[in-house]
Amino acid sequence: MAVSALPATSTGGVRALWAPLGAAGLALAATTYIGLVDPNESGHYPTCPFLALTGNFCPGCGSLRAVHALTSGDVGAALSFNVLTVAAVVVLAGLWARWLLRRWRGEPRRAVAPAWTLYLLLGVIVVFWVVRNLAVGEALAP
Amino acid sequence: MSDYGNPADPNKPDPNQPDPNQPGQADWSQPSEPPTGQPPVGQGDQGYGTQQYGQQQPYGQPQYGQPQYGQQPYGQPTGAPPQNYLVWAILSTLFCCLPLGIASIVFAAQVNGKYEAGDHAGAQESSEKAKKFAIWSAIAGLVVIGLYILFVIVIAAGSDS
Repeated sequence: MAVSALPATSTGGVRALWAPLGAAGLALAATTYIGLVDPNESGHYPTCPFLALTGNFCPGCGSLRAVHALTSGDVGAALSFNVLTVAAVVVLAGLWARWLLRRWRGEPRRAVAPAWTLYLLLGVIVVFWVVRNLAVGEALAP
Repeated sequence: MSDYGNPADPNKPDPNQPDPNQPGQADWSQPSEPPTGQPPVGQGDQGYGTQQYGQQQPYGQPQYGQPQYGQQPYGQPTGAPPQNYLVWAILSTLFCCLPLGIASIVFAAQVNGKYEAGDHAGAQESSEKAKKFAIWSAIAGLVVIGLYILFVIVIAAGSDS
């Protein structure tokens, strides 16, 4: 949030890249930590509050283990922990690349994703949330 | 979405600055209503709800970038779309705080939907709400982590004695 409060630059070029590069640095630091501190061992990270309170998985459950699996290159394990997280990593990486390019060129943000795509995202998350708690959706459970 | 602080238009007010002329900002009970402070203007009466979704406008006016309601409410520019903070919504849904993340996604979708419909003031309003939820989920995440660290320290102290 502090990032967005900073004054805008309209020039592009290297100096405009601090925000995407800073975000990438933070993401890399967090990923490194998750790679080094294994979330499969209990006590390393807090349990998901929703899981602890209700006993049901939330749509994000398994994310830490999925990221940990990705750091060791085990995409299959990552997918089995949380399909959505792996998809989100891909989508966020793509958005980040577009952001970087736009900052580099000094372009303003013009394109807006159609609203239905965001409502679709919401629907996918809710369906995923429900199904992974059902017997038929066991494959989607972390 | 991920373009923090990018300038779209030199006339654009900083979206992070609260707009004193925007009474609907804190009005949580009526999220989809137009701001109450807006005076009724001739064209504005038919503007909301009817003149949207790509209907052909007279005289071949381009739909975007034109003042649709006969006025520019609150001096909002029609240039760049408001920030929808979708990345924060996704991150908080996956890693932190499910209900806040879900609400954030709804507001992000509202931003884009209202912007598409030409309701720039409404899109700005939804953007402010999306931002509030992003901040709250970040705070909630820090609180959860803080409580957990505290909890671990208490357990460690308990097992030492």
